Amino acid sequence: MKIQESMPATKVERSAKFVKTGFQIGGNYIKHYSKKLFNPDLTRDELNEDNASDIYNSLSQLKGSALKVAQMLSMDKNALPKAYINKFSQSQYNAPPLSGPLITRTFTKSFGKRPEELFDTFNPVSTNAASIGQVHQATLGGKKLAVKVQYPGVADSISSDLKLVKPFAFRLLGMNEKELNIYIREVEERLLEETDYELEVRRSIQFSKACAQLKNVVFPTYYPELSSAKIITMDWMEGMHLKEFLATDPSQALRNKIGQALWDFYHFQQHKLRAVHADPHPGNFLITPGKKLAVIDFGCIKEIPEDFYEPFFALVWDGLMNHKSATIEAFRKLEMIRQNDTPRQVEFYYKSYKEMISLFSMPYAGKTFDFSQPQFFEDIYDWGEKITKMPEFRQPRGVKHFIYINRTNFGLYTILNELNATVNTQTYKPAVKKERMSMEE
Amino acid sequence: MAKAIVKPMMSSQQIEEAYIDYVLTNNEPPKSVYDFAKKLNITEAEFYTFYASFYAIEKSFWTGVTNQVIEKVKDQETWPGYSAREKMLSFFYAYVELLNTKRSFAIYTLKKHSKKFSSPEVLSGVKPLFENFAEEVIRDGLDSGELADRKFFSKRYKDALWLQFTFLISFWADDDSPGFEKTDEAIEKGINVAFDLFQHSPIDNLFEYGKFLARNGKFREKMGI
Repeated sequence: MKIQESMPATKVERSAKFVKTGFQIGGNYIKHYSKKLFNPDLTRDELNEDNASDIYNSLSQLKGSALKVAQMLSMDKNALPKAYINKFSQSQYNAPPLSGPLITRTFTKSFGKRPEELFDTFNPVSTNAASIGQVHQATLGGKKLAVKVQYPGVADSISSDLKLVKPFAFRLLGMNEKELNIYIREVEERLLEETDYELEVRRSIQFSKACAQLKNVVFPTYYPELSSAKIITMDWMEGMHLKEFLATDPSQALRNKIGQALWDFYHFQQHKLRAVHADPHPGNFLITPGKKLAVIDFGCIKEIPEDFYEPFFALVWDGLMNHKSATIEAFRKLEMIRQNDTPRQVEFYYKSYKEMISLFSMPYAGKTFDFSQPQFFEDIYDWGEKITKMPEFRQPRGVKHFIYINRTNFGLYTILNELNATVNTQTYKPAVKKERMSMEE
Repeated sequence: MAKAIVKPMMSSQQIEEAYIDYVLTNNEPPKSVYDFAKKLNITEAEFYTFYASFYAIEKSFWTGVTNQVIEKVKDQETWPGYSAREKMLSFFYAYVELLNTKRSFAIYTLKKHSKKFSSPEVLSGVKPLFENFAEEVIRDGLDSGELADRKFFSKRYKDALWLQFTFLISFWADDDSPGFEKTDEAIEKGINVAFDLFQHSPIDNLFEYGKFLARNGKFREKMGI
């Protein structure tokens, strides 16, 4: 019998879950190589498929931060074989719900009142589940509200989850586990921030204010007085998820309009605010009946420090890449080329990373960019696939900020690709060595 | 002329409160009932009209909490609409919520009488109350078809829940997480597992199928199986 509610609680149980996955993956490899004995042409696709579904199955039962990690992996499509992606993409939707009494308990803890007392109506059945919480519908004073309730013990389990998921995540990425602590800490910081709902409410209000000037992008109103460390109350946004929107077969003009809104939203943040909504997975957006883009989750914000912004965007925009020595200088600043690299290594990483940055900056090259062209994405996957096989990339390189900046931009590219949108890429240009707007209020 | 000092009778509630206050302030029980009664300005006999011993106060503390919680959860507007599973979850959440307000004394009584591997003696008064309540909830669940009515076993459902109860109380007593969040997790998971087991499951079907095959042995012989 499959008991979905029995989310493994203790670290021991969670470990056991991962150990089991380990065995299954081991089994998959045995299956793969025994088949290969008889059929040398067998590709690793089937093996990857088997691995991905086993890993997904154990991750989806872990809920919490492990599910989040699965989500992150699924966004980093550039670095993952295709088979993993399809499975991981499933983690972007539904996880099993919390019981009504536990929701009541969370409310009485936060407000001393039950949800029925706080709102005019409150639907105890959640409409959908996010990775660390679930969303309920409520009404108050004739207004329809969305109430996000966090699973208990999420923050507590993040650190131990990450320790457990580490060897798995990075075997998938073909990297060495030991050197990854800087990156893991970066991820842990962001994940812990996501569990702080009070912070999320503050940021949501701040960002929706700062982005109010953007065309075709809308935000819900947040209600700090109805929010707490475990609960967020905001306006209920009517609209369709990306998949549903695409199923209505929207016109090219409409696709472009939504795509442009997305592009502007992300580039305004990166270049004007220097802090970005770093969770561009489709579940965080809705297309409203008025055909605007609604942004409904500000849990994950990545601030972009000056010492990353300058060298990185100078590479992408300023034609710096035509000058080899200047490019190498920038790579050094970003730690993609290291102090003690040999001349041969410098040359190697210069070439590889130049290829990556060229790919990454392709959309910026012309006035507009057509994200529907498959070639661009094939090239990115190929590059990702190529580097996972290179021993030189077994150890991670580059400053920690790459994780979320890459995730954000490739995530954005992926959504634009699904939209088949053509966008004007020159709306918000990087302001290298220029003043910027302050986020402080 | 004898001066009659009319002093108001103490209630059992007041004696309990005074005892809790004494224990928590002094970190030990009063030396004797005589001594305690003197401090309260009552006679020993008055004390005994309410409680036979200090231990009786501690037991009554737990039964008091239990009765209060049962009353409170049944009073909720949402109660009639709850499934058996939700009723039991609601009971446990309300229980720890109330206990949190009396945590020090609750833990004092548990630690004092704690015997490993068995339910604490001091909860002996709670057991019949809890079982009554649990039976009621289970009965509702069986009637609505939410839970599986199994010969012999369905009578033991309440025993399983009592085990959960004592486990969760001791889990709560040792919980040092902020806001006792881990106890919430333990309740959610533990009660859900219990009710998953009480529900109809593939095991029931397997059992039914086995019974069917056994009953139709003759048929099997004819078929030459």
